[in-house]
Amino acid sequence: MKSMKELPNNKRGKKRGVFDKPRSYIMGIPIIFWLLIIIITPVILMLIMSFRQKVGYDISNILTLSNYLEILKKPSYVKILLRSFRIALIASTLAIFASYPLAYYISRKIRKGRHLLFMLIIAPLWISYLVRIIAWRAILGNKGLINSTLMALGLIKEPLSFLLYNQFAVAITLTYISIPFVFIPLYTALEKIPVNLIDAARDLGANEFHTFINVILPLCIPGLLTGFMLAFIISLGDYIIPMQLGGTGGMMLGNIIWSQFGFAFNWPLGAALGFILFSIAAVILAITQKFGSREGMLYE
Amino acid sequence: MKKERRKFKLSPLGIYAVLAYSFLYLPLAVVIVFSFSPTKSIVGFSGFTTRWYIKLFNDEALIAALIHSLQVSLTAVSIAVVVGTSGAFFLVRANFPGKQLFRSLSQLPLILPGIILGIALLILFMNLGFELSMFSILMGHVCFTTPVIMFQVASRLQRLPRSFEYAAKDLGATPVKIFWYVTLPMIRTAIIGGALLAFTMSFDEIIITYFLTGTWTTLPVFIYGMMRFGLSPQVFAISTVVLTFAMVLIVLMAKFTAVREEL
Repeated sequence: MKSMKELPNNKRGKKRGVFDKPRSYIMGIPIIFWLLIIIITPVILMLIMSFRQKVGYDISNILTLSNYLEILKKPSYVKILLRSFRIALIASTLAIFASYPLAYYISRKIRKGRHLLFMLIIAPLWISYLVRIIAWRAILGNKGLINSTLMALGLIKEPLSFLLYNQFAVAITLTYISIPFVFIPLYTALEKIPVNLIDAARDLGANEFHTFINVILPLCIPGLLTGFMLAFIISLGDYIIPMQLGGTGGMMLGNIIWSQFGFAFNWPLGAALGFILFSIAAVILAITQKFGSREGMLYE
Repeated sequence: MKKERRKFKLSPLGIYAVLAYSFLYLPLAVVIVFSFSPTKSIVGFSGFTTRWYIKLFNDEALIAALIHSLQVSLTAVSIAVVVGTSGAFFLVRANFPGKQLFRSLSQLPLILPGIILGIALLILFMNLGFELSMFSILMGHVCFTTPVIMFQVASRLQRLPRSFEYAAKDLGATPVKIFWYVTLPMIRTAIIGGALLAFTMSFDEIIITYFLTGTWTTLPVFIYGMMRFGLSPQVFAISTVVLTFAMVLIVLMAKFTAVREEL
């Protein structure tokens, strides 16, 4: 009866949908539990842990700032932190430069098979992270593809040792990993540019270069920002890649965090380093949400 | 026509695209090629062998790790489907204060570096006095698979016209029936696509898992252990198997999400 009354009135119907209050709130129970138990609580516990201190083999319950002060005082930590920033910056910049022409080409020049080409670029995002690391070790290693090819050609006698276990190897692998992350927001930004804007620029006498500089590029800035930030965060926090390809000279923030939970066994210090990384990521994400494009964020 | 083709081939952007795709896929090809190499080292590739694959099947520890991985991924994705789908309804259809904050927090597992969640969960388990086991790994996987499914389903829900549900309601269907016969069929492909994607990510995950692993290991952690002794042909062989498996899942996932674009 009630529903018959509502039927002609669309606006009322919209307000009282099938899953609207209060059933929609019951729907929220599992996800709220998930959020509280495996996201919020662990991060809070990490923050608390970062203020505790390692005393002998124990962890004291007194909360101090000593871990943070220790990090700031130790030149080696600061050095690794700065190096991590530098490597992440290089990797995300390279990923932008590598992805942009590709996104431009696929979104503007390709008519048929565009979706397939798009999928081919983002597929590596999901196909084994570890396999891709193995691949780069196989390429750059002493007995790897590059060295064995050069030796077979007789161009070198000894394997080039500068290819692996340094910052270069880490940066190139991080770039490789970052490309799909950058590509998605760039492609979405480019594809959304209305054709009539470009036609208008052409009609007003702009050539392809000028159209690109004055119309297309400015419209891509939010997408560029989102892609860059995502790649930067992913690269900054990685520890498996520097562990596998970095050697001692390519150590990054993730490595020192890892070692606090492994052989160094100083969890409070590790938690402090982890919280520093978390804060950096949170600030970057807040900036991205404000100025970047929302559509490019992975799953939206 | 012919002229146009030539022009297409000569465009610098086109050449760049070919190079870029090679950069993306050549490393993977290297892994596959080396997995069939009969020599133990990478140098002097000659001939073709499937010996390393046969060796894999006889490696009991590896098979155990593979089964563990399947167990973790299947369980995690099953939980994530329920939590993520109901969460998507909550996100799209409920109005509550702090919705934007809720959305941002839910996205965290997808965009934060995995190491943060790894150590945060490790500290959680230590505080609770839990041993590192299958359970700790499972929780880590539920952590990042849930938002994958949630946002896939939410984006579908957002575009869904409500009229079918209103019609069903007006015809006297109960909410449960409406969900089962009207809403669910319309979001089914999004759930399946999201679940496949989540499974692929879970099956492959090492960054978080590595922190939560005790003696009970998953396949990626096991492979990581194999890599400590250098890159043996078995590492390439198991990588090729994992790669093929992931590719199949991705193709399936693309099929399910492609429906979205026709809507």
